[in-house]
Amino acid sequence: MNAIVVRDLSKHFIPSKKERRKGKNKNQQIKQKKYNKNAIVRAVDHIDFEVKSGEIFGFLGPNGAGKTTTIRMLTGILKPTNGDILIFGQNFWNNPIKAKQIMGHVPEEANVYMDLTGLENLSFIGELYGIPKKVRISRAEQLLKRFELFEKRHLKSKKYSKGMKQRLLLCMALMSNPKILFLDEPTSGLDVQSSIIIKKLIKDYNKNGMTIFMTTHDMDVANEMCDRIAIINKGKIIGLDTPENLKKLKQEYQAIDFYFTEEIKENELENLNSVKEVKKIRDYYHIIVHDLNDGICEIIEYIKSRHLKVKKINTYEPHLEEVFLKMVNGGDTD
Amino acid sequence: MEVIPIKEEADIFLGESNYGKILTQVKRSFAITKKDLKIYYNKGPVVIQGFLFPLILFFAFTVGRKIIPIYIISGLMAMVLFMTSTSIGPVVFPWETRAKTLERLIACPISIKTILLGNIWSSFIFGCIFSMVPLLLGVIFFGFWMSINILIIILGILVASLAFSSFSLILSVPPTDTPASTMILTILIKFPILLLTPLFMPINAAPYGIISPLTYFTDIINVGLGENSVFGPYGLLLDFCILIMFGFVFLSLAFVLHSKTLQKRFRG
Repeated sequence: MNAIVVRDLSKHFIPSKKERRKGKNKNQQIKQKKYNKNAIVRAVDHIDFEVKSGEIFGFLGPNGAGKTTTIRMLTGILKPTNGDILIFGQNFWNNPIKAKQIMGHVPEEANVYMDLTGLENLSFIGELYGIPKKVRISRAEQLLKRFELFEKRHLKSKKYSKGMKQRLLLCMALMSNPKILFLDEPTSGLDVQSSIIIKKLIKDYNKNGMTIFMTTHDMDVANEMCDRIAIINKGKIIGLDTPENLKKLKQEYQAIDFYFTEEIKENELENLNSVKEVKKIRDYYHIIVHDLNDGICEIIEYIKSRHLKVKKINTYEPHLEEVFLKMVNGGDTD
Repeated sequence: MEVIPIKEEADIFLGESNYGKILTQVKRSFAITKKDLKIYYNKGPVVIQGFLFPLILFFAFTVGRKIIPIYIISGLMAMVLFMTSTSIGPVVFPWETRAKTLERLIACPISIKTILLGNIWSSFIFGCIFSMVPLLLGVIFFGFWMSINILIIILGILVASLAFSSFSLILSVPPTDTPASTMILTILIKFPILLLTPLFMPINAAPYGIISPLTYFTDIINVGLGENSVFGPYGLLLDFCILIMFGFVFLSLAFVLHSKTLQKRFRG
């Protein structure tokens, strides 16, 4: 079953006079430079996708691509200009309060209540979800222990570090035991310890059946955690698949770096069937191949036949970041 | 530690009666009230508007004038109630917009009306508690305990505090994230209302006072302290009806206007 179905979703903004004067959003499709009330910013422009129940769905895109606007529409913060959002088959806007009851949301910027303690923040959110007092206190304590914040539970949140605030935000989102968890840049700007804790716990909750929808700039996080990834640019989805399938779009960049003990003839290597191109870079040869496995086998055969000695080999697989850049920049990965 | 198992999908969209939905939302609004009272009571603008202004204005209005004790107490109560019940409301929305906590609230299973209701309760409690202070001073220093009708006074405080709390939320309608902006608007609107109201004097001494909702509260307190209403034999009833009407209009306006401007707070 699909946890989220998005059909023809759009969000258009009409820039305020102030924004038009400042020239803000000029990179977001405002063609008209002078005052024009019809100058519309298409933050999200007719997008469609589905998120399967129990998967981790990544949403990648450059700044201003429409990631946060999409997540805000999915969590009921912004009303779409048009389109439908179905949560477990039910239209979100037919009963937004019921739909929000099964969602948890971690926004990009830390927005805990600074004058409340960690425990008070969790208890407050629990109350907004209608969780009985006894349950919410025990659940809050359980979450604080799990996220390594229990010792600081009576400390005001303004005294928390950024990583601690982010963990507290995640605790707040998990207070209601949501079926769908929305994470907007969950590991952005965090210390290594907090980032590891958050990634591990997101995976744990996902294993337990929780559907995760996350936006991130971090390609390693997306590659490591997401079952499927959508790439959004200028309000439109330009790619949607598993990380492995997306990487295949960059197959021509499969390469092997060979460090030999002596000079070799580049043209001999280029004559091999699986080799596309050979470049000598400093003390190694960067060999671009059609297929990584075939390339390695054939080059090793060549090495054996010439009795060459190899110091080091590095394989070079397409990286998600390159796929992302290729899609966003139309091929220019530099 | 075990991960808590999540609910069955079938449970998610179970129906609930309209009455149940309203009751749920009212309950959740109390959580917002508690939060507001914990966080905002000691914030600068709240302290200035809720405590310092009434004190300064009291001395400005009364020093060097011969005023009878009833008008001192009713004037002071009206001013304190008006200033305190309208001190939190205008700053909560800009503050929470800036701190991005409003975004978190909207993502929770509550409506904008629930958030507004929570803000109104906190202003209401603030107004009720602090307007009792002048009454206690009156009882202690002027011996009003002999003549007061406590029921009328309490009912008046409850109705007026609700009306002014609703009014305060209209002042936070502009979708700004700068509390100072709403503070300026607040002062520009609240002070003329105070100056229009015949405080510390007989109400009929200032006939233009009838356009100020605070005048009707002052009249209720005057009656509660043993005076006759200036609006005739049914004056007290008229006072309550007008305050309820003002409250209803303010509340409806706050709901409508905030629903319209809410989306503008989450741009960019």
